[in-house]
Amino acid sequence: MVRVFSTPTCPYCVALKGFLKEHNIEFEDIDVSKDETAQKEMIEKSGQYGVPVIDIDGEIIVGFNQDRIKQLLKI
Amino acid sequence: MIYDLIIIGGGPAGITAGIYAARKKLKTLLITKEWGGQMIKATEIGNWPGTKMISGNDLIRQMSEHLKMFEMKIKEGKEVIDLDKKGENFIVRDNDQTYEAKTVIIASGKVPRALNIPGEEEFKGKGVSFCATCDAPMFKDKNVAVIGGGNAGFATAIDLLKYAKKIYILEFFPEMKGDLVTKEKLAKSGKVEFYTNVAIKKIKGTKFVESLTYEDRKTSKDQKIKIGGVFIAIGMMAKAEFAQKLVELNQMGEIVIDKDNYTKTPGLFAAGDISDIKYEQIVIACGEGAKAALAATEYLKNK
Repeated sequence: MVRVFSTPTCPYCVALKGFLKEHNIEFEDIDVSKDETAQKEMIEKSGQYGVPVIDIDGEIIVGFNQDRIKQLLKI
Repeated sequence: MIYDLIIIGGGPAGITAGIYAARKKLKTLLITKEWGGQMIKATEIGNWPGTKMISGNDLIRQMSEHLKMFEMKIKEGKEVIDLDKKGENFIVRDNDQTYEAKTVIIASGKVPRALNIPGEEEFKGKGVSFCATCDAPMFKDKNVAVIGGGNAGFATAIDLLKYAKKIYILEFFPEMKGDLVTKEKLAKSGKVEFYTNVAIKKIKGTKFVESLTYEDRKTSKDQKIKIGGVFIAIGMMAKAEFAQKLVELNQMGEIVIDKDNYTKTPGLFAAGDISDIKYEQIVIACGEGAKAALAATEYLKNK
């Protein structure tokens, strides 16, 4: 399962989600500016505040790290 | 494989250079860390002719899609770390591979300037941020510091106003250079405190940022404030060290070019914010990218 923690105004989040859509990857789009529980979960899991954070089957990646994301999604 | 042209950078200058090079049928490689550079942080662009209002993200997507329409080799997510000459040709090295080309256009733009103080790098993402647009919602009900009292610092504080409990704006010089209108808006919120004449010394914390120490430059005394976030907005800088063997850098670290985008090394060009042109605008960067590609084409023809 792919989950994206993001804020609506963050440009790298928009870029990341665009990238996933381009590759037809389904993902849960979590807005941490509205969902405080999810925000806490994201900070706890990633050990940092920066968005976007992507969770690919439990593997946490901070930022729009294309190489790593491609590798994990095998695209 | 020897390319006709390698373009370093995927902002407006690099992309436009790429489009021009592709239409001139140059065998081209474009290497970029990301698309857009500074552009992607612009929420509203109102001076791109032909489009009344567009976000940086949308405009850069249109530009990169336009570029990708052409047959061209593109390496994304890679940063160039060295540029040198080998005989007549250029050798470009990124953190992955080495490439050879007859001409090179450097269009890698600018990056946010750092404070270079203890704790800054260590707590990056853990309270230290260079992008309030991205991270502001994560600082709800927290006290935060904004470093830099220019328009960038004020814009950062505006982004934070909705979320933060208290905002300290810290400026090195005796006066804040940001627009008065914005300053008044910030002051009216009752959330913002302005400090001038302060030098930031260090950022401390355990897992996340907890405090910041600054020196009051009038009294030379250190002061500590408890904050959960530090937003750094002290301008942008050129990062052209990878090319320093072949170019002249000015005091700002920008690459010196002539009016046709030539650097001091024949066959090596620079375009956009990385160069020493005065005005830094998307439309200008595009024009400079086009000029550099045309100059490179002409150079290849006369070689």
